[in-house]
Amino acid sequence: MAGLVPGGTSIEGVEQYLPILLLLVLVALFSIGSAAASRVLGPKRRPTAAKAGAYESGIAPRYRAASRFSVRFYMVAMIFIIFDIEVIFLYPWAVMYHQLSTFGLAEMGTFAAVVFVAFAYLVSHGALDWGPGVKRGGRAPLSLSRSTTSTVRRVPRPAELAQGAQPRPVDSTVGGASERPGVRVSEPARTA
Amino acid sequence: MSGDPLFANGLNLAVWVILVVKVVAVFAIVLLSVLFMIMYERKVIARLGVRYGPNRAGPNGWLQSLADGTKLLFKEAFTPKGADKVVYKIAPYLMLLPALIAFAIVPLGGHITIAHHTTELQLADPQWGILFLLMTSGVAVYGVMMAGWSSGSKYPLLGSVRASAQMVSYEAVLGLTTATAVLVTGSLHTSAIVAAQHGGFLYHWNIIHTAVIPFILFSVAITAEMTRAPFDLVEAEEEISGGYNLEYSSVDFAWFYLAEYAALITNSAIIITLWLGGPDGPRIAGHSIGPVWFIIKMLVVLYIFVWIRATLPRLRYDQLMDLGWKRMIPAALAMLMIIAGFQATTTTSGSGIAHYLAERKWGFLAIVASVLLYALLTRAIEVGKQATGLDDPTDAHHKVGGQI
Repeated sequence: MAGLVPGGTSIEGVEQYLPILLLLVLVALFSIGSAAASRVLGPKRRPTAAKAGAYESGIAPRYRAASRFSVRFYMVAMIFIIFDIEVIFLYPWAVMYHQLSTFGLAEMGTFAAVVFVAFAYLVSHGALDWGPGVKRGGRAPLSLSRSTTSTVRRVPRPAELAQGAQPRPVDSTVGGASERPGVRVSEPARTA
Repeated sequence: MSGDPLFANGLNLAVWVILVVKVVAVFAIVLLSVLFMIMYERKVIARLGVRYGPNRAGPNGWLQSLADGTKLLFKEAFTPKGADKVVYKIAPYLMLLPALIAFAIVPLGGHITIAHHTTELQLADPQWGILFLLMTSGVAVYGVMMAGWSSGSKYPLLGSVRASAQMVSYEAVLGLTTATAVLVTGSLHTSAIVAAQHGGFLYHWNIIHTAVIPFILFSVAITAEMTRAPFDLVEAEEEISGGYNLEYSSVDFAWFYLAEYAALITNSAIIITLWLGGPDGPRIAGHSIGPVWFIIKMLVVLYIFVWIRATLPRLRYDQLMDLGWKRMIPAALAMLMIIAGFQATTTTSGSGIAHYLAERKWGFLAIVASVLLYALLTRAIEVGKQATGLDDPTDAHHKVGGQI
Protein backbone atom coordinates (compact mmCIF):
# COMPACT_ATOMS: atom_id res chain seq x y z
CA MET A 1 0.00 0.00 0.00
CA ALA A 2 1.12 3.49 -0.70
CA GLY A 3 2.08 5.78 2.13
CA LEU A 4 3.60 3.56 4.76
CA VAL A 5 4.94 5.43 7.74
CA PRO A 6 7.77 4.03 9.91
CA GLY A 7 5.31 2.92 12.59
CA GLY A 8 4.02 0.27 10.22
CA THR A 9 0.49 1.66 9.98
CA SER A 10 -0.51 2.83 6.58
CA ILE A 11 -1.86 6.26 5.92
CA GLU A 12 -4.96 5.70 3.92
CA GLY A 13 -5.82 7.97 1.11
CA VAL A 14 -9.03 9.89 0.95
CA GLU A 15 -10.27 7.46 -1.71
CA GLN A 16 -11.32 5.09 1.10
CA TYR A 17 -14.04 7.60 1.89
CA LEU A 18 -15.15 7.87 -1.72
CA PRO A 19 -17.82 5.10 -1.61
CA ILE A 20 -19.54 6.76 1.34
CA LEU A 21 -19.57 10.07 -0.50
CA LEU A 22 -21.05 8.37 -3.58
CA LEU A 23 -23.69 6.66 -1.43
CA LEU A 24 -24.51 9.99 0.14
CA VAL A 25 -24.98 11.50 -3.31
CA LEU A 26 -27.20 8.58 -4.35
CA VAL A 27 -29.34 8.91 -1.21
CA ALA A 28 -29.61 12.66 -1.80
CA LEU A 29 -30.73 12.06 -5.40
CA PHE A 30 -33.24 9.47 -4.22
CA SER A 31 -34.75 11.77 -1.65
CA ILE A 32 -34.86 14.76 -3.99
CA GLY A 33 -36.49 12.57 -6.64
CA SER A 34 -39.11 11.24 -4.25
CA ALA A 35 -39.83 14.69 -2.85
CA ALA A 36 -40.33 15.97 -6.40
CA ALA A 37 -42.54 13.00 -7.26
CA SER A 38 -44.63 13.62 -4.16
CA ARG A 39 -44.98 17.27 -5.13
CA VAL A 40 -46.18 16.33 -8.60
CA LEU A 41 -48.40 13.40 -7.62
CA GLY A 42 -49.81 14.54 -4.29
CA PRO A 43 -52.91 16.70 -4.06
CA LYS A 44 -52.60 20.35 -3.15
CA ARG A 45 -55.39 21.67 -0.98
CA ARG A 46 -55.99 24.73 1.10
CA PRO A 47 -56.23 23.43 4.66
CA THR A 48 -58.99 24.59 6.94
CA ALA A 49 -58.05 26.23 10.23
CA ALA A 50 -58.84 23.05 12.16
CA LYS A 51 -56.60 21.00 9.89
CA ALA A 52 -53.72 23.48 9.98
CA GLY A 53 -53.73 23.57 13.76
CA ALA A 54 -51.66 21.29 15.96
CA TYR A 55 -53.08 17.79 16.44
CA GLU A 56 -54.22 17.24 19.98
CA SER A 57 -56.48 14.22 19.66
CA GLY A 58 -59.46 16.20 18.46
CA ILE A 59 -59.32 19.02 20.97
CA ALA A 60 -58.72 22.42 19.40
CA PRO A 61 -55.32 23.69 20.60
CA ARG A 62 -55.68 26.81 22.73
CA TYR A 63 -52.04 27.57 23.45
CA ARG A 64 -48.75 27.36 21.64
CA ALA A 65 -46.84 24.10 22.04
CA ALA A 66 -45.24 23.93 25.44
CA SER A 67 -41.98 25.81 25.33
CA ARG A 68 -41.02 24.50 28.75
CA PHE A 69 -40.29 20.93 29.72
CA SER A 70 -38.72 19.19 32.67
CA VAL A 71 -35.29 20.46 33.66
CA ARG A 72 -34.22 16.81 34.00
CA PHE A 73 -33.89 16.57 30.23
CA TYR A 74 -31.25 19.32 30.33
CA MET A 75 -29.46 17.56 33.16
CA VAL A 76 -29.33 14.33 31.21
CA ALA A 77 -27.84 16.22 28.28
CA MET A 78 -25.13 17.72 30.50
CA ILE A 79 -24.29 14.49 32.30
CA PHE A 80 -24.12 12.75 28.95
CA ILE A 81 -21.19 15.00 28.04
CA ILE A 82 -19.10 13.46 30.85
CA PHE A 83 -19.51 10.01 29.40
CA ASP A 84 -19.22 11.11 25.82
CA ILE A 85 -15.85 12.68 26.59
CA GLU A 86 -14.77 9.49 28.33
CA VAL A 87 -15.85 7.38 25.37
CA ILE A 88 -13.95 9.64 23.00
CA PHE A 89 -10.77 9.05 25.00
CA LEU A 90 -11.48 5.32 25.09
CA TYR A 91 -11.24 4.67 21.36
CA PRO A 92 -7.60 5.60 20.71
CA TRP A 93 -6.74 3.87 23.98
CA ALA A 94 -8.63 0.71 23.00
CA VAL A 95 -6.91 0.55 19.60
CA MET A 96 -3.43 0.91 21.14
CA TYR A 97 -4.16 -1.16 24.24
CA HIS A 98 -2.07 -4.19 23.38
CA GLN A 99 1.01 -1.99 23.02
CA LEU A 100 0.25 -0.03 26.20
CA SER A 101 -0.58 -3.08 28.34
CA THR A 102 -0.43 -2.48 32.12
CA PHE A 103 0.55 1.17 31.70
CA GLY A 104 -2.60 1.73 29.65
CA LEU A 105 -4.64 -0.25 32.16
CA ALA A 106 -3.44 1.84 35.10
CA GLU A 107 -3.97 5.06 33.17
CA MET A 108 -7.48 4.25 32.03
CA GLY A 109 -8.31 2.72 35.41
CA THR A 110 -7.45 6.03 37.08
CA PHE A 111 -9.40 7.99 34.51
CA ALA A 112 -12.45 5.70 34.76
CA ALA A 113 -12.32 5.83 38.57
CA VAL A 114 -12.32 9.65 38.51
CA VAL A 115 -15.24 9.73 36.09
CA PHE A 116 -17.06 7.10 38.13
CA VAL A 117 -16.65 8.99 41.41
CA ALA A 118 -18.04 12.11 39.74
CA PHE A 119 -20.91 10.00 38.44
CA ALA A 120 -21.58 8.54 41.90
CA TYR A 121 -21.62 12.09 43.27
CA LEU A 122 -24.26 13.07 40.70
CA VAL A 123 -26.32 9.99 41.52
CA SER A 124 -26.06 10.66 45.24
CA HIS A 125 -27.57 14.11 44.65
CA GLY A 126 -30.48 12.57 42.80
CA ALA A 127 -29.48 14.17 39.50
CA LEU A 128 -30.69 11.11 37.60
CA ASP A 129 -33.87 10.35 39.54
CA TRP A 130 -37.02 10.55 37.50
CA GLY A 131 -39.57 9.33 39.95
CA PRO A 132 -42.02 7.91 40.71
CA GLY A 133 -43.31 10.77 42.80
CA VAL A 134 -43.75 10.17 46.49
CA LYS A 135 -47.00 8.44 47.15
CA ARG A 136 -48.33 9.46 50.52
CA GLY A 137 -51.45 7.34 50.55
CA GLY A 138 -53.08 7.07 53.97
CA ARG A 139 -51.06 9.89 55.47
CA ALA A 140 -52.35 13.24 56.62
CA PRO A 141 -51.66 16.15 54.27
CA LEU A 142 -48.89 18.52 55.24
CA SER A 143 -51.18 21.00 56.98
CA LEU A 144 -54.59 20.04 58.27
CA SER A 145 -55.82 23.62 57.93
CA ARG A 146 -55.36 23.44 54.15
CA SER A 147 -58.40 21.98 52.47
CA THR A 148 -60.19 22.34 49.17
CA THR A 149 -62.47 25.03 50.48
CA SER A 150 -59.76 26.96 52.30
CA THR A 151 -57.51 27.23 49.26
CA VAL A 152 -60.14 28.00 46.62
CA ARG A 153 -60.89 31.70 46.60
CA ARG A 154 -64.15 33.29 45.69
CA VAL A 155 -63.76 36.22 43.32
CA PRO A 156 -66.29 39.02 43.87
CA ARG A 157 -68.60 40.07 41.09
CA PRO A 158 -67.71 43.24 39.16
CA ALA A 159 -70.24 45.26 41.07
CA GLU A 160 -68.77 44.06 44.36
CA LEU A 161 -65.25 44.83 43.14
CA ALA A 162 -66.34 48.39 42.50
CA GLN A 163 -67.27 48.63 46.18
CA GLY A 164 -63.83 47.43 47.21
CA ALA A 165 -64.55 43.73 47.84
CA GLN A 166 -61.48 41.44 47.86
CA PRO A 167 -61.17 37.79 46.75
CA ARG A 168 -61.40 35.58 49.80
CA PRO A 169 -61.42 31.87 50.64
CA VAL A 170 -64.71 30.09 50.19
CA ASP A 171 -64.97 29.04 53.82
CA SER A 172 -63.64 32.34 55.08
CA THR A 173 -65.03 33.38 58.44
CA VAL A 174 -63.91 36.98 58.06
CA GLY A 175 -66.89 39.22 58.66
CA GLY A 176 -68.88 36.41 60.28
CA ALA A 177 -70.32 33.19 58.92
CA SER A 178 -73.79 34.65 58.60
CA GLU A 179 -72.63 37.25 56.11
CA ARG A 180 -73.67 36.34 52.54
CA PRO A 181 -71.74 38.88 50.48
CA GLY A 182 -73.19 37.80 47.16
CA VAL A 183 -76.74 38.54 48.26
CA ARG A 184 -76.42 41.71 50.26
CA VAL A 185 -73.95 43.70 48.20
CA SER A 186 -75.45 42.98 44.81
CA GLU A 187 -78.91 44.33 45.56
CA PRO A 188 -78.01 48.02 45.58
CA ALA A 189 -75.90 47.48 42.50
CA ARG A 190 -78.90 46.18 40.56
CA THR A 191 -81.13 49.06 41.51
CA ALA A 192 -78.47 51.63 40.65
CA MET B 1 -5.64 -3.59 8.07
CA SER B 2 -5.50 -0.89 5.54
CA GLY B 3 -8.80 -0.47 3.88
CA ASP B 4 -10.20 -1.67 0.63
CA PRO B 5 -7.54 -2.99 -1.81
CA LEU B 6 -9.66 -1.68 -4.68
CA PHE B 7 -7.78 1.62 -4.56
CA ALA B 8 -4.30 0.07 -4.52
CA ASN B 9 -3.56 1.07 -8.10
CA GLY B 10 -5.24 4.43 -8.13
CA LEU B 11 -8.53 5.38 -9.70
CA ASN B 12 -9.24 4.34 -13.24
CA LEU B 13 -12.41 3.76 -15.20
CA ALA B 14 -12.81 0.12 -14.13
CA VAL B 15 -12.48 1.12 -10.48
CA TRP B 16 -15.10 3.81 -10.92
CA VAL B 17 -17.51 1.35 -12.54
CA ILE B 18 -17.00 -1.17 -9.73
CA LEU B 19 -17.53 1.61 -7.21
CA VAL B 20 -20.78 2.76 -8.73
CA VAL B 21 -22.04 -0.82 -8.97
CA LYS B 22 -21.18 -1.41 -5.32
CA VAL B 23 -22.84 1.83 -4.21
CA VAL B 24 -26.05 1.05 -6.11
CA ALA B 25 -25.99 -2.54 -4.83
CA VAL B 26 -25.67 -1.49 -1.20
CA PHE B 27 -28.40 1.10 -1.62
CA ALA B 28 -30.68 -1.50 -3.20
CA ILE B 29 -29.86 -4.02 -0.46
CA VAL B 30 -30.83 -1.54 2.24
CA LEU B 31 -34.08 -0.50 0.55
CA LEU B 32 -35.11 -4.06 -0.27
CA SER B 33 -34.26 -5.22 3.23
CA VAL B 34 -36.44 -2.45 4.62
CA LEU B 35 -39.36 -3.54 2.44
CA PHE B 36 -38.71 -7.12 3.50
CA MET B 37 -38.25 -6.25 7.16
CA ILE B 38 -41.53 -4.36 7.47
CA MET B 39 -43.36 -7.38 6.13
CA TYR B 40 -41.23 -9.83 8.13
CA GLU B 41 -42.06 -7.93 11.30
CA ARG B 42 -45.76 -7.68 10.53
CA LYS B 43 -46.00 -11.35 9.58
CA VAL B 44 -44.04 -12.59 12.60
CA ILE B 45 -45.81 -10.32 15.04
CA ALA B 46 -49.14 -11.41 13.59
CA ARG B 47 -48.25 -15.06 14.02
CA LEU B 48 -47.07 -14.40 17.57
CA GLY B 49 -50.45 -12.81 18.19
CA VAL B 50 -52.26 -15.74 16.50
CA ARG B 51 -53.41 -13.65 13.52
CA TYR B 52 -52.70 -13.83 9.80
CA GLY B 53 -51.17 -10.41 9.26
CA PRO B 54 -51.33 -8.65 5.89
CA ASN B 55 -52.02 -11.24 3.16
CA ARG B 56 -53.71 -9.39 0.31
CA ALA B 57 -51.18 -7.31 -1.68
CA GLY B 58 -49.02 -9.58 -3.82
CA PRO B 59 -48.17 -13.21 -3.06
CA ASN B 60 -49.12 -13.81 0.57
CA GLY B 61 -49.13 -10.07 1.12
CA TRP B 62 -45.39 -9.63 0.60
CA LEU B 63 -45.90 -6.50 -1.51
CA GLN B 64 -47.87 -4.72 1.18
CA SER B 65 -45.05 -2.42 2.30
CA LEU B 66 -44.26 -1.52 -1.31
CA ALA B 67 -47.93 -0.66 -1.85
CA ASP B 68 -47.96 1.43 1.33
CA GLY B 69 -44.85 3.31 0.25
CA THR B 70 -46.26 4.01 -3.19
CA LYS B 71 -49.53 5.16 -1.69
CA LEU B 72 -47.74 7.69 0.48
CA LEU B 73 -46.31 9.34 -2.65
CA PHE B 74 -49.86 10.25 -3.65
CA LYS B 75 -50.73 11.83 -0.32
CA GLU B 76 -50.82 15.48 0.49
CA ALA B 77 -47.54 16.87 1.88
CA PHE B 78 -48.90 18.99 4.66
CA THR B 79 -47.24 21.55 6.93
CA PRO B 80 -49.14 22.65 10.05
CA LYS B 81 -49.60 26.34 10.67
CA GLY B 82 -47.53 26.45 13.84
CA ALA B 83 -44.55 24.68 12.25
CA ASP B 84 -41.12 26.13 11.62
CA LYS B 85 -41.29 25.45 7.89
CA VAL B 86 -37.60 25.06 7.00
CA VAL B 87 -36.66 22.84 9.94
CA TYR B 88 -39.88 20.88 9.55
CA LYS B 89 -39.00 20.01 5.96
CA ILE B 90 -35.33 19.25 6.63
CA ALA B 91 -35.87 16.93 9.65
CA PRO B 92 -37.03 13.79 7.76
CA TYR B 93 -34.03 13.98 5.44
CA LEU B 94 -31.71 14.35 8.40
CA MET B 95 -33.16 11.09 9.68
CA LEU B 96 -33.00 9.36 6.31
CA LEU B 97 -29.43 10.19 5.29
CA PRO B 98 -27.56 8.68 8.27
CA ALA B 99 -29.88 5.67 8.38
CA LEU B 100 -29.22 4.78 4.74
CA ILE B 101 -25.47 5.40 4.63
CA ALA B 102 -24.59 3.54 7.85
CA PHE B 103 -24.76 0.17 6.10
CA ALA B 104 -21.68 1.14 4.08
CA ILE B 105 -19.27 -0.11 6.75
CA VAL B 106 -20.81 -3.56 7.20
CA PRO B 107 -18.54 -6.35 5.92
CA LEU B 108 -20.54 -9.01 4.10
CA GLY B 109 -17.76 -11.54 3.86
CA GLY B 110 -14.47 -11.97 2.02
CA HIS B 111 -13.12 -10.51 -1.18
CA ILE B 112 -14.23 -10.61 -4.76
CA THR B 113 -12.14 -10.13 -7.90
CA ILE B 114 -13.66 -8.45 -10.93
CA ALA B 115 -11.49 -7.75 -13.99
CA HIS B 116 -8.20 -8.00 -12.07
CA HIS B 117 -9.48 -5.66 -9.39
CA THR B 118 -9.87 -7.17 -5.96
CA THR B 119 -12.37 -5.56 -3.66
CA GLU B 120 -13.95 -6.31 -0.32
CA LEU B 121 -17.58 -7.32 -0.08
CA GLN B 122 -18.14 -4.16 1.87
CA LEU B 123 -18.87 -0.74 0.47
CA ALA B 124 -16.30 1.26 2.40
CA ASP B 125 -13.57 0.33 4.84
CA PRO B 126 -12.31 3.67 6.11
CA GLN B 127 -10.01 4.24 9.06
CA TRP B 128 -12.70 5.27 11.51
CA GLY B 129 -14.66 2.13 10.77
CA ILE B 130 -17.00 1.46 13.62
CA LEU B 131 -17.00 5.12 14.72
CA PHE B 132 -19.09 5.73 11.62
CA LEU B 133 -21.98 3.86 13.24
CA LEU B 134 -21.79 6.03 16.36
CA MET B 135 -21.63 9.10 14.15
CA THR B 136 -24.75 8.20 12.20
CA SER B 137 -26.71 7.29 15.32
CA GLY B 138 -25.59 10.60 16.83
CA VAL B 139 -26.84 12.57 13.83
CA ALA B 140 -30.18 10.73 13.96
CA VAL B 141 -30.86 12.42 17.33
CA TYR B 142 -30.87 15.76 15.53
CA GLY B 143 -33.49 14.54 13.10
CA VAL B 144 -35.78 13.45 15.94
CA MET B 145 -35.20 16.63 17.91
CA MET B 146 -35.77 18.93 14.94
CA ALA B 147 -38.89 17.06 13.83
CA GLY B 148 -40.47 17.29 17.27
CA TRP B 149 -39.50 20.86 17.94
CA SER B 150 -40.46 22.27 14.56
CA SER B 151 -43.93 20.71 14.45
CA GLY B 152 -45.30 23.39 16.75
CA SER B 153 -47.37 20.84 18.58
CA LYS B 154 -47.28 19.41 22.09
CA TYR B 155 -47.10 15.66 21.51
CA PRO B 156 -44.24 15.79 19.02
CA LEU B 157 -42.27 18.08 21.32
CA LEU B 158 -42.71 15.71 24.24
CA GLY B 159 -41.82 12.77 22.02
CA SER B 160 -38.67 14.42 20.79
CA VAL B 161 -37.32 15.50 24.18
CA ARG B 162 -37.98 11.99 25.44
CA ALA B 163 -36.24 10.59 22.39
CA SER B 164 -33.17 12.77 22.59
CA ALA B 165 -32.70 12.17 26.33
CA GLN B 166 -33.13 8.44 25.78
CA MET B 167 -30.83 8.31 22.78
CA VAL B 168 -27.98 10.22 24.40
CA SER B 169 -28.32 8.13 27.57
CA TYR B 170 -27.95 4.87 25.74
CA GLU B 171 -25.32 6.22 23.40
CA ALA B 172 -22.91 6.21 26.33
CA VAL B 173 -23.55 2.48 26.85
CA LEU B 174 -23.18 1.92 23.13
CA GLY B 175 -19.86 3.74 23.12
CA LEU B 176 -18.47 1.86 26.12
CA THR B 177 -19.44 -1.59 24.82
CA THR B 178 -18.18 -0.82 21.31
CA ALA B 179 -14.88 0.20 22.91
CA THR B 180 -14.82 -3.26 24.54
CA ALA B 181 -15.06 -4.92 21.14
CA VAL B 182 -12.40 -2.57 19.78
CA LEU B 183 -10.21 -3.39 22.77
CA VAL B 184 -10.12 -7.14 22.14
CA THR B 185 -9.65 -6.60 18.40
CA GLY B 186 -7.25 -3.68 18.46
CA SER B 187 -8.71 -2.02 15.37
CA LEU B 188 -11.52 0.28 14.38
CA HIS B 189 -11.78 -1.27 10.90
CA THR B 190 -14.94 -3.35 10.68
CA SER B 191 -13.10 -5.71 8.32
CA ALA B 192 -10.36 -6.21 10.93
CA ILE B 193 -12.93 -6.76 13.68
CA VAL B 194 -14.51 -9.49 11.56
CA ALA B 195 -11.15 -10.97 10.59
CA ALA B 196 -10.13 -11.24 14.24
CA GLN B 197 -13.20 -13.37 14.92
CA HIS B 198 -12.53 -15.68 12.00
CA GLY B 199 -12.06 -19.42 12.38
CA GLY B 200 -13.85 -21.63 14.85
CA PHE B 201 -17.59 -21.25 14.88
CA LEU B 202 -18.69 -19.28 17.95
CA TYR B 203 -15.49 -19.94 19.90
CA HIS B 204 -13.54 -17.03 18.43
CA TRP B 205 -16.41 -14.61 18.27
CA ASN B 206 -16.31 -11.49 20.37
CA ILE B 207 -19.41 -12.56 22.25
CA ILE B 208 -17.31 -15.31 23.86
CA HIS B 209 -14.10 -13.25 24.02
CA THR B 210 -15.85 -10.57 26.06
CA ALA B 211 -17.83 -12.92 28.32
CA VAL B 212 -21.29 -12.24 26.81
CA ILE B 213 -22.20 -9.31 29.09
CA PRO B 214 -21.00 -6.48 26.78
CA PHE B 215 -22.93 -8.13 23.94
CA ILE B 216 -26.13 -8.07 25.98
CA LEU B 217 -25.54 -4.48 27.06
CA PHE B 218 -24.84 -3.48 23.46
CA SER B 219 -27.98 -5.17 22.15
CA VAL B 220 -30.18 -3.58 24.80
CA ALA B 221 -28.58 -0.18 24.24
CA ILE B 222 -29.01 -0.36 20.49
CA THR B 223 -32.67 -1.33 20.93
CA ALA B 224 -33.11 1.79 23.05
CA GLU B 225 -31.10 3.83 20.57
CA MET B 226 -33.52 2.84 17.81
CA THR B 227 -36.41 3.58 20.20
CA ARG B 228 -37.85 0.16 19.51
CA ALA B 229 -40.05 -1.79 21.86
CA PRO B 230 -39.78 -2.11 24.85
CA PHE B 231 -38.06 1.29 24.78
CA ASP B 232 -40.54 3.00 22.44
CA LEU B 233 -41.71 5.69 24.85
CA VAL B 234 -40.91 8.12 22.09
CA GLU B 235 -43.97 7.05 20.15
CA ALA B 236 -46.09 5.78 23.03
CA GLU B 237 -49.43 5.93 21.30
CA GLU B 238 -51.49 5.89 24.48
CA GLU B 239 -49.70 8.92 25.92
CA ILE B 240 -48.44 11.11 23.12
CA SER B 241 -50.22 9.46 20.19
CA GLY B 242 -47.23 8.79 17.98
CA GLY B 243 -44.54 11.15 19.15
CA TYR B 244 -42.15 13.22 17.09
CA ASN B 245 -43.51 12.30 13.64
CA LEU B 246 -47.15 12.93 14.56
CA GLU B 247 -47.70 15.94 12.27
CA TYR B 248 -45.95 14.46 9.25
CA SER B 249 -47.66 13.06 6.19
CA SER B 250 -46.82 11.91 2.66
CA VAL B 251 -43.17 11.11 1.83
CA ASP B 252 -41.96 12.99 4.89
CA PHE B 253 -43.67 10.40 7.03
CA ALA B 254 -42.39 7.62 4.79
CA TRP B 255 -38.82 8.83 5.47
CA PHE B 256 -39.25 8.44 9.20
CA TYR B 257 -40.60 4.96 8.71
CA LEU B 258 -37.88 4.08 6.23
CA ALA B 259 -35.17 5.51 8.49
CA GLU B 260 -36.48 3.52 11.45
CA TYR B 261 -36.33 0.22 9.60
CA ALA B 262 -33.08 1.01 7.80
CA ALA B 263 -31.57 1.67 11.21
CA LEU B 264 -32.93 -1.66 12.41
CA ILE B 265 -31.33 -3.49 9.47
CA THR B 266 -28.00 -1.69 9.89
CA ASN B 267 -27.87 -2.12 13.64
CA SER B 268 -28.61 -5.84 13.40
CA ALA B 269 -25.77 -6.06 10.89
CA ILE B 270 -23.53 -4.17 13.32
CA ILE B 271 -24.44 -6.53 16.17
CA ILE B 272 -23.41 -9.41 13.96
CA THR B 273 -20.21 -7.66 12.88
CA LEU B 274 -19.09 -6.69 16.36
CA TRP B 275 -20.12 -9.70 18.39
CA LEU B 276 -21.35 -12.60 16.28
CA GLY B 277 -18.40 -13.06 13.98
CA GLY B 278 -19.82 -11.20 10.99
CA PRO B 279 -19.94 -13.53 7.98
CA ASP B 280 -17.90 -16.18 9.80
CA GLY B 281 -19.27 -19.71 9.77
CA PRO B 282 -18.43 -23.28 8.80
CA ARG B 283 -17.47 -23.87 5.19
CA ILE B 284 -19.86 -25.92 3.11
CA ALA B 285 -18.08 -28.44 0.81
CA GLY B 286 -14.86 -26.47 1.02
CA HIS B 287 -16.49 -23.22 -0.08
CA SER B 288 -16.55 -20.16 2.10
CA ILE B 289 -20.13 -18.96 2.14
CA GLY B 290 -19.79 -15.80 4.21
CA PRO B 291 -22.76 -13.87 2.78
CA VAL B 292 -25.09 -16.85 3.36
CA TRP B 293 -24.06 -17.08 6.99
CA PHE B 294 -24.50 -13.35 7.26
CA ILE B 295 -28.06 -13.51 5.97
CA ILE B 296 -28.91 -16.41 8.29
CA LYS B 297 -27.57 -14.48 11.27
CA MET B 298 -29.49 -11.39 10.15
CA LEU B 299 -32.76 -13.30 10.02
CA VAL B 300 -32.17 -14.70 13.51
CA VAL B 301 -31.24 -11.32 15.03
CA LEU B 302 -34.15 -9.57 13.32
CA TYR B 303 -36.52 -12.28 14.49
CA ILE B 304 -35.33 -11.72 18.08
CA PHE B 305 -36.04 -8.00 17.72
CA VAL B 306 -39.60 -8.74 16.59
CA TRP B 307 -40.00 -11.37 19.28
CA ILE B 308 -38.96 -8.84 21.95
CA ARG B 309 -41.46 -6.34 20.58
CA ALA B 310 -44.24 -8.90 20.69
CA THR B 311 -43.36 -10.05 24.20
CA LEU B 312 -42.26 -7.19 26.41
CA PRO B 313 -44.45 -4.33 27.62
CA ARG B 314 -43.19 -0.77 27.40
CA LEU B 315 -41.01 0.55 30.20
CA ARG B 316 -41.94 3.54 32.32
CA TYR B 317 -39.74 6.57 31.70
CA ASP B 318 -38.09 6.54 35.12
CA GLN B 319 -37.38 2.82 34.74
CA LEU B 320 -35.83 3.49 31.35
CA MET B 321 -33.54 6.19 32.73
CA ASP B 322 -32.65 4.18 35.83
CA LEU B 323 -31.78 1.16 33.72
CA GLY B 324 -29.63 3.20 31.37
CA TRP B 325 -27.76 5.41 33.79
CA LYS B 326 -27.63 3.54 37.06
CA ARG B 327 -27.28 -0.01 35.81
CA MET B 328 -26.06 -0.28 32.24
CA ILE B 329 -23.48 2.51 32.11
CA PRO B 330 -21.67 1.37 35.28
CA ALA B 331 -21.90 -2.25 34.12
CA ALA B 332 -20.47 -1.39 30.70
CA LEU B 333 -17.65 0.59 32.28
CA ALA B 334 -16.86 -2.22 34.73
CA MET B 335 -16.88 -4.84 31.96
CA LEU B 336 -14.54 -2.70 29.89
CA MET B 337 -12.02 -2.42 32.74
CA ILE B 338 -12.33 -6.12 33.65
CA ILE B 339 -11.73 -7.21 30.06
CA ALA B 340 -8.88 -4.73 29.78
CA GLY B 341 -7.43 -6.32 32.93
CA PHE B 342 -7.62 -9.84 31.53
CA GLN B 343 -6.18 -8.67 28.21
CA ALA B 344 -3.07 -7.46 30.08
CA THR B 345 -2.23 -11.07 30.91
CA THR B 346 1.48 -11.78 31.14
CA THR B 347 2.47 -15.26 30.04
CA THR B 348 5.07 -16.78 32.28
CA SER B 349 6.18 -20.32 32.84
CA GLY B 350 4.72 -22.24 35.75
CA SER B 351 1.63 -24.11 36.75
CA GLY B 352 -0.88 -24.39 39.55
CA ILE B 353 -3.67 -22.17 40.77
CA ALA B 354 -1.36 -19.54 42.27
CA HIS B 355 0.39 -19.20 38.95
CA TYR B 356 -2.93 -18.99 37.10
CA LEU B 357 -4.08 -16.19 39.38
CA ALA B 358 -0.74 -14.37 39.17
CA GLU B 359 -0.90 -14.39 35.38
CA ARG B 360 -4.31 -12.79 35.43
CA LYS B 361 -3.84 -10.59 38.46
CA TRP B 362 -4.98 -7.42 36.69
CA GLY B 363 -8.23 -8.99 35.61
CA PHE B 364 -9.08 -10.20 39.11
CA LEU B 365 -7.98 -6.86 40.51
CA ALA B 366 -10.42 -5.15 38.14
CA ILE B 367 -13.22 -7.49 39.27
CA VAL B 368 -12.53 -6.68 42.93
CA ALA B 369 -12.40 -2.95 42.18
CA SER B 370 -15.67 -3.20 40.25
CA VAL B 371 -17.42 -4.93 43.13
CA LEU B 372 -16.20 -2.26 45.57
CA LEU B 373 -17.31 0.55 43.26
CA TYR B 374 -20.65 -1.20 42.78
CA ALA B 375 -21.14 -1.01 46.55
CA LEU B 376 -20.34 2.70 46.36
CA LEU B 377 -22.87 3.14 43.58
CA THR B 378 -25.58 1.28 45.48
CA ARG B 379 -25.02 3.59 48.42
CA ALA B 380 -25.06 6.63 46.11
CA ILE B 381 -28.40 5.57 44.63
CA GLU B 382 -29.88 5.20 48.12
CA VAL B 383 -28.60 8.60 49.20
CA GLY B 384 -29.88 10.13 45.97
CA LYS B 385 -33.37 8.80 46.48
CA GLN B 386 -33.48 10.25 49.96
CA ALA B 387 -32.08 13.56 48.73
CA THR B 388 -34.79 14.10 46.12
CA GLY B 389 -37.61 12.42 47.99
CA LEU B 390 -38.77 11.18 44.61
CA ASP B 391 -38.71 7.60 45.65
CA ASP B 392 -39.15 7.28 49.38
CA PRO B 393 -37.86 3.84 50.48
CA THR B 394 -39.62 4.14 53.83
CA ASP B 395 -42.97 4.44 52.10
CA ALA B 396 -44.51 0.99 52.11
CA HIS B 397 -47.25 1.98 49.67
CA HIS B 398 -44.73 2.64 46.95
CA LYS B 399 -43.70 -1.01 46.97
CA VAL B 400 -47.19 -2.15 46.06
CA GLY B 401 -47.51 -0.22 42.86
CA GLY B 402 -45.68 2.84 41.66
CA GLN B 403 -47.60 5.85 40.50
CA ILE B 404 -46.45 9.16 39.15
